[in-house]
Amino acid sequence: MRVIRAAIDEAYSVMAQMVGSVFRHGLPLTDKIAARTALTNFVLHIHPVRVRRSWIRMSYTLCLGGLSFFLFIVLTVTGLYLMFYYVPSTQHAYQDMRDLQFVVTFGGFIRNMHRWAAHAMVITVWLHMARVFLTGAYKKPREFNWGIGTVLLLITLLLSFTGYLLPWDQLSIWAVTVGTNMAKYAPIAGPYTRYLMLGGRAVGDATLLRFYVMHVVGLPLIGFLLMVIHFWRVRKDGFSGGL
Amino acid sequence: MATEARDRIAARDRIAAQRRTVDAPSSVRDDSDDEMIVSFPEFIFKEFIASVAMTVFLIIVSFIPAPLLGQANPGVTPNPSKAPWYFLGLQELLSRFPPLMAGVAFPTFVIVLMILVPFLDRNPSRRPSERKVAIILFALYMVIVVALVLIGVFFRGHEFIWNWGWVLGSPQSCGGAAC
Repeated sequence: MRVIRAAIDEAYSVMAQMVGSVFRHGLPLTDKIAARTALTNFVLHIHPVRVRRSWIRMSYTLCLGGLSFFLFIVLTVTGLYLMFYYVPSTQHAYQDMRDLQFVVTFGGFIRNMHRWAAHAMVITVWLHMARVFLTGAYKKPREFNWGIGTVLLLITLLLSFTGYLLPWDQLSIWAVTVGTNMAKYAPIAGPYTRYLMLGGRAVGDATLLRFYVMHVVGLPLIGFLLMVIHFWRVRKDGFSGGL
Repeated sequence: MATEARDRIAARDRIAAQRRTVDAPSSVRDDSDDEMIVSFPEFIFKEFIASVAMTVFLIIVSFIPAPLLGQANPGVTPNPSKAPWYFLGLQELLSRFPPLMAGVAFPTFVIVLMILVPFLDRNPSRRPSERKVAIILFALYMVIVVALVLIGVFFRGHEFIWNWGWVLGSPQSCGGAAC
């Protein structure tokens, strides 16, 4: 009996050590432990250790910034799954979409989620901007972060727009044709800008590749860097908090 | 094992009791808005709830199929051809104003104006009652944008001509978020 008991105790302490190696401070039973957890945990370190209750009131923030970031993560994960099955060429793209819809396990579901989450992100980012404006949170010392936020809104729109072409159906190419036609009205640079975007004079193979590369690498990378700066500045400039 | 579990529970209760008495005197822990609280777990819990709610929402809407029309055909132009909904406000402007103005000047102006907002708004107050002008201007801007997008989505039919969607139906157009 004693041997078994010793073995169980040993197993328990090994398990405790394993758990302890991941979660360094155990349950946050006191404020001190909770603070240390927030300080030393990679996922949590984005947050300040202490916050004023008014800063995090849901009726103030409406969680819109956080939800935008969460949607970005959802879009990254679902987007990765879609990338496994998608080839950005006019030969394959449309057939790959059909396969995603009818053949690939959860393909249709993941594609739907990617699509609706993208629309949702445009809306949450937009509403986040509205909330920040209406609470006057862009005022000194947060002027610069408002500017970054504006650029992030534009990147969200561009991400959504570049993704719009990828299914290569009648909806995509004509929406992108209309969208890129707007660019050509700029004086002097207009036609060149459009040529640069399309990789030619009309929406074609080169356009699909360019939009794909910008959609899956270029814009997410720029967007992610700006998000890091955006969150950093929220910390350094201070939360805006209640009115 | 049993004694150990009991010890741990007792220790937990003791610490929780300490927290209530020593760590949280009622004079400090007043539940007011100004109170400083530890962000973990309160703050993180709120974020967690929000993300769970969003996940549930996404799972439900993901049963709605995303639109997929026929394969792209550069030879057949659908009529009307519409940009994605968030650009339909711009397309609406293009149908009303000279392209240089609607396609280039307007958007550039709006973007620059947006970035400059914190420097143009000289009013230091953040109270809504003290910034009526700013709020009215912004509300106007929002209403115009939303109206232009709604017009583009629902009231523009064949040849991008005005079309009361519910009277004539929307021939070949795709309405709402489905675009």
